[in-house]
Amino acid sequence: MGGMTTTTAKATDVVSFERVSKSYGDVKAVDGLTLALHPGETVALLGPNGAGKSTTLDLLLGLRPADTGTVRVFGAGPRDAIVQGRVGAMLQSGGLMDEVTVAELVELACALHPKPYRANDVLSRAGITQIADRKVNKLSGGQEQRVRFALATAGANDLIVLDEPTTGMDVSARHAFWATMREQADQGRTVLFATHYLEEADAIADRVLVLHRGRLLADGTAAEIKAKAGARKVAFDLDGDIDEQALRALPFLTAADVSGRTVRLQSSDADATVHALYGLGLYPRNLEVAGLGLEQAFVAITTAEEARSETRTS
Amino acid sequence: MNSLIKLEITRALRNKKFLFFSVVYPSVLFLLIAGSSDSSTKVAGTGLNLAAFMMVSMASFGALTAVLMGNSERIAKERESGWVRQLRLTTLPGRGYVLAKTASAAVVSLPSIVVVFVVAAVTKGVRLDAWQWLALVGAIWAGSLCFAALGVAIGYLATGDAVRPITMIVYFGLSILGGLWFPSAGFPEWLRNIASWLPTHAYAALGQAIELGNAPHAKDVVLIVAYFLVFAGGAAWLYRKDTLKA
Repeated sequence: MGGMTTTTAKATDVVSFERVSKSYGDVKAVDGLTLALHPGETVALLGPNGAGKSTTLDLLLGLRPADTGTVRVFGAGPRDAIVQGRVGAMLQSGGLMDEVTVAELVELACALHPKPYRANDVLSRAGITQIADRKVNKLSGGQEQRVRFALATAGANDLIVLDEPTTGMDVSARHAFWATMREQADQGRTVLFATHYLEEADAIADRVLVLHRGRLLADGTAAEIKAKAGARKVAFDLDGDIDEQALRALPFLTAADVSGRTVRLQSSDADATVHALYGLGLYPRNLEVAGLGLEQAFVAITTAEEARSETRTS
Repeated sequence: MNSLIKLEITRALRNKKFLFFSVVYPSVLFLLIAGSSDSSTKVAGTGLNLAAFMMVSMASFGALTAVLMGNSERIAKERESGWVRQLRLTTLPGRGYVLAKTASAAVVSLPSIVVVFVVAAVTKGVRLDAWQWLALVGAIWAGSLCFAALGVAIGYLATGDAVRPITMIVYFGLSILGGLWFPSAGFPEWLRNIASWLPTHAYAALGQAIELGNAPHAKDVVLIVAYFLVFAGGAAWLYRKDTLKA
């Protein structure tokens, strides 16, 4: 519960989290999270499964109360922002009412919104006009997602929150979805979406928040995050004496490990690192260069982030 | 909120299985039980013949079916599917969802009462004064709120898998033990004692008193109100607990 004296939130912030924590039993799903979203941003909340993305969105939307800390949406509590019709949200696996038609459900969403659009416009923008008369329980996974999107955009919201919105969509549906989403962003709306696809964050977001174990690890443009997470691993064997000092001095290294004859490096520019390796006059055998998985990329970011915060505090 | 109530009603009226069990089934049971009864034999301890007695029992049973089934199963399933969460992201007040469910159940329970009355009047010649018919509809309809609250409580208590068996046990238990299917006068004494304290027994007794031209017994009215308060209180508590969880 931060007092007003220590708050850094600005009145113009769309969303602000101040040292927000939420635990389920012993598991800290969100751990001292502080962040702010600004008007007009398209922000990706990136993290592996279990990083606390869904919990963060639940807290933002007032679906769960925070254990400690303050969540503000447009300067008020989450529920107030929703009642004012400023937030539209698309939940992961958000169930739908069955036995009603798509049109009836969208009409309901419009009727419940304080600043509604016309139901026909909502249907056509979500690309579901041709299935408007179909029963909701007879839809494919991708069609259901579109209906959820329609419910999230039934009125003139200022903030749109999407939890893994493209789950279950094929590539073309995904493209179409993000095209629609960009239109929303272009109209000046703030968009926050959770994803575990680095590529999706890269293509859509102008700001990326990396979440891991409930903590914010990185906050920057997609290019910055990609550079951090874009590390590759370089592994090889060496004969003869190994000069560890020389190896550790190779350019662009983010991590190095020598065990026996095997050397494992991580580099933010693998081409340059390997080039310099040959430059040392060494002859690496069984050379392997591979991209890091997302998990490892997060570890790379963690390490970098911890090192940075140490230098910041010293 | 009206838009949700309207859609819930449309949806309930579209569900043929639900309509069959709450509107048609009680009348079928009435004909099976009272169809061949003679009108001069009174049901022990009631002063009513079997047709008049069962008419109220089955109207109460139909209303009970509509409100209990309509609420419990839908709520448990929609809680599990995430629809309840989705609705919490709208301007709809928290109680709006429960009110809409109960309202749609009440819309179905009205025909289920009236259809039994019409069948009883036409096939068994049950005759009452106009005020009695109106009072019966009013009492049975209003009394069904007690079971609507019970349905909401079960809906917030049970998971999607468990809700049907739990509802069935409560539904048949209350119907049979409360004397809606057979007059409880035929029960052994210990069972009759239990039955007289059940909400369904008090519920049917409201209507049976009206049929005899009396006001409902104070004990039955107090019982049904007390049960309503307990069920509604439990439903509210479970609802709040569920809201904090997700």
